[in-house]
Amino acid sequence: MTLIYAGLSLGAVYALVAIGYNIVFVASRSFNFAQAQLMMIGAFVAYTGYVTLGLPAIVVVVLAMVVVMLVAAILERVAVRPVADHQTQLITTLGFGTVLTGLAQLIWGSQPLDVPFFGAKEAMTLFGGRLYSFELGLIVLSVVLVAVIHVYNRRMMSGLAIVAMSQDDEAAVLRGINVRKLAFAAFAITGLLAGLMGFFIGPKTFAVATLGSALALKGFVALAIGGFGSFYGGLAGGFVVGLVEEHAARYLGSEFSNLSVFLILILVLMLRPTGLFGQIQERTV
Amino acid sequence: MTTVNWWKTLRAVPSWVYPSMLGVFLLVLPVLQPGYSVTRQVELTLILALIVSGLNLSLGYAGQLAIGQVAMYAAGAYTAGIIAMAGVTDILVQLLAAGLAALVVGILTGIPGLRLGSWSLAMTSFFLVLLVPDIVSIFEEHTGGQLGLSGIPGATLLGFQLTPTHFYLTVVTVAILWFAAFRNIIASRHGIAFQVLKQSPVLASSVGMSVFRIKLSGYATGAVPAGLAGALFANLDLFVSLEAFGFHVATGALAASILGGSVSVYGAVLGAAVVEYASSQSDSFQEYSLVFFGLFLLLGGVLMSGGVAGVARTFVARLDRAAGLVGRGPSKAGDGEAIHRIDGGLLEVTGISKAFGGNRVLTDVSLRAEPGRVTALIGPNGSGKTTLLNLVCGYYRRDAGEITLDGTPIRTAATHRIARLGVARTFQTPLIPPSITVRDVVASGRYTVEDMSFAGAILRTPRFRAIQRRDRQRADEMLRLVGLEDVADTEAATLPLGMRRMLEVARALVAEPKVLLLDEAASGLDEGEVETLAGVIRRIRDAGCTIILVEHNFGLVLSLADEIVVLARGSVLASGTPSDIANDPRVRDEYLGAGDQDVRLDDSVIAAAARQETSS
Repeated sequence: MTLIYAGLSLGAVYALVAIGYNIVFVASRSFNFAQAQLMMIGAFVAYTGYVTLGLPAIVVVVLAMVVVMLVAAILERVAVRPVADHQTQLITTLGFGTVLTGLAQLIWGSQPLDVPFFGAKEAMTLFGGRLYSFELGLIVLSVVLVAVIHVYNRRMMSGLAIVAMSQDDEAAVLRGINVRKLAFAAFAITGLLAGLMGFFIGPKTFAVATLGSALALKGFVALAIGGFGSFYGGLAGGFVVGLVEEHAARYLGSEFSNLSVFLILILVLMLRPTGLFGQIQERTV
Repeated sequence: MTTVNWWKTLRAVPSWVYPSMLGVFLLVLPVLQPGYSVTRQVELTLILALIVSGLNLSLGYAGQLAIGQVAMYAAGAYTAGIIAMAGVTDILVQLLAAGLAALVVGILTGIPGLRLGSWSLAMTSFFLVLLVPDIVSIFEEHTGGQLGLSGIPGATLLGFQLTPTHFYLTVVTVAILWFAAFRNIIASRHGIAFQVLKQSPVLASSVGMSVFRIKLSGYATGAVPAGLAGALFANLDLFVSLEAFGFHVATGALAASILGGSVSVYGAVLGAAVVEYASSQSDSFQEYSLVFFGLFLLLGGVLMSGGVAGVARTFVARLDRAAGLVGRGPSKAGDGEAIHRIDGGLLEVTGISKAFGGNRVLTDVSLRAEPGRVTALIGPNGSGKTTLLNLVCGYYRRDAGEITLDGTPIRTAATHRIARLGVARTFQTPLIPPSITVRDVVASGRYTVEDMSFAGAILRTPRFRAIQRRDRQRADEMLRLVGLEDVADTEAATLPLGMRRMLEVARALVAEPKVLLLDEAASGLDEGEVETLAGVIRRIRDAGCTIILVEHNFGLVLSLADEIVVLARGSVLASGTPSDIANDPRVRDEYLGAGDQDVRLDDSVIAAAARQETSS
């Protein structure tokens, strides 16, 4: 059970990355390679706020959210908006993510920093397994976020507008939807969420500059398993990746954890390229 | 004036001479006794340039962002190191083994990675980089694990021990040979195919190119130089460790590619030189390198999409124009060009239906298009004309019905297979790849007519030369037919709409298709251009081709078609000869608007249609 909790909470981290990918994907059909780096910055800001400055938890959360939202807003302005095609956006967002990694290394060094979590310090026992409060927090956060986003997309006008945009942005423009503003808002919101997520993932993964690339990849696998654009799929995919990774590390050895996740990615791409919850689209001329 | 003349002389020299001069210079460099640090710098630059050129092939030409070149580099280095430890020190064997190892990694990861859009390859290949340390530690007893593989015996060539100078020459030679091979691939129809694919996968498959295979061949071939680079690297210091294969190196290579220009052959050398030089300059650069590489990617993507090579190309084009090296001005359609006999095919569509979700677009539609006849498909907007063409081409899967060509059923096969059966088409909005010449656009239509391998292109075999000659010859014939021969060397994307439509016809026709599908070929053309187009279509028909024409210009249809099928709301409303259709009251109601005096058909048009019918 302890292993399952570990897997689920790690999976929740990946699911959170996948949520970030999905929000941007649904709103602008583009792929934000720097998503995981945004979360990394969130974790570092949480560390600085908590440990270096000794601020109260709620201030730290708000601080992380605001800082990362600003970074995401800059990302949208310099790396996404000026670039027309999605292929080039891959390169520019990767570039932005690399800059963030480099800056994080310069500012916070390359040693992993332990980010503390509010609440109980020691592990609790639940259904015969042990887990930490931050692990429970991660799982709850990812599930709640997905549910909220789902309801938002179905019920609210702006949610529907975003869905409309993802179908056909030209048609959305003709309907009077401000596509640019919404795309910008989507980035800002992912930044806000990434800040929040960074606060939660820090205790689990440590704040370390190399966090970005591993998270980016595992989050992508979660997305590939779940299907692009599907929030529930991303959540399920994240849990699958987390569980597989923890079990492989436990039973095969730590050097097999990445490899087994990679094999899952390959299998999904070969057998069901649209993911478990994805839709097949017919091509048009 | 003198500058212009000077430029003309420079341009008269074939373009491959300049990089060759650099190659020769590097080969004779040891004579100047430049010292260890310079030769080492050159070696490292060339090794990086090999990796970067692989990236260019996959990112710049095949249009796929792949960051995993470093993993193939690692595969090559460890392969070479391990077999050297086992006693195989011959550099040729090592290069071969390393190249093959990298190729296998490329194919194995390319197949799943390319199945799903652009990011999945980026991610799968990125993942490879993450896996390198794991795999190295799994095979620790062979690879040395974290400590690295040390004590590799020095390289030999055919039994002779290589001195550092010999090894330097080996590195330069390998780089020269690879860049020559790369250049030969790009300066062949494969290079054009990459451009076509990048512009539009839809277009590529319509001329019979398999999108997946071309992407895979670009990506997998791009692995080979990385493998070669790995073998050279293993022998450079006779030590291989994980440090050389991290994300840091991966982003550095990508930055070099973007900086030098991804869509270029020699940009890789330039980009690699800059990145390598900067990295070697100071330790502080190491610290800031990720920030710099990131900025390269960001700025490279935003500002100069072509990199340094792109800037240079624009500059060269401008000087060319100033020197008057580029011909200008279109010509009138050449009536003199005789068309080869084309064996048209009988296309039969029976009872076809198609719905998109709950929206029925076609219901039980049948038509029959015979060789040597123009079958026109008309109907109001949204009546399903283009959908029908797309079903024939295989872009959509049909819900019911059958399509046969010469009696053999066309299953819902991949689009490029249907194209290979002899179905060619033009598009409502002409799809013309940027930055290739008019002649190359037409020649790209011959991709399937004669197969040519990468190897043939690299070695410039006699067969390759013969095919290339025929490509050019047939393309020129087609250009004369549609009256574009004077703009054959112009960049195709700069042509006005009328010429681009003609160009599409030429490209479709160069494959000598059995069936030619023209999707609104005359829309947006002026009267003179419509006239020219009609003339061309008649001559293609007279040559024996089966033509299906989707068209709104009713006058043109009446004067051109032998058989007209009228679609309305997804079903066939009427079909018959032009005069039948012109006099059919239902067609008048549905298509031309009931009782609307303004769109009454001009009697002269009907008379022309009748004349046309009797004459053919």
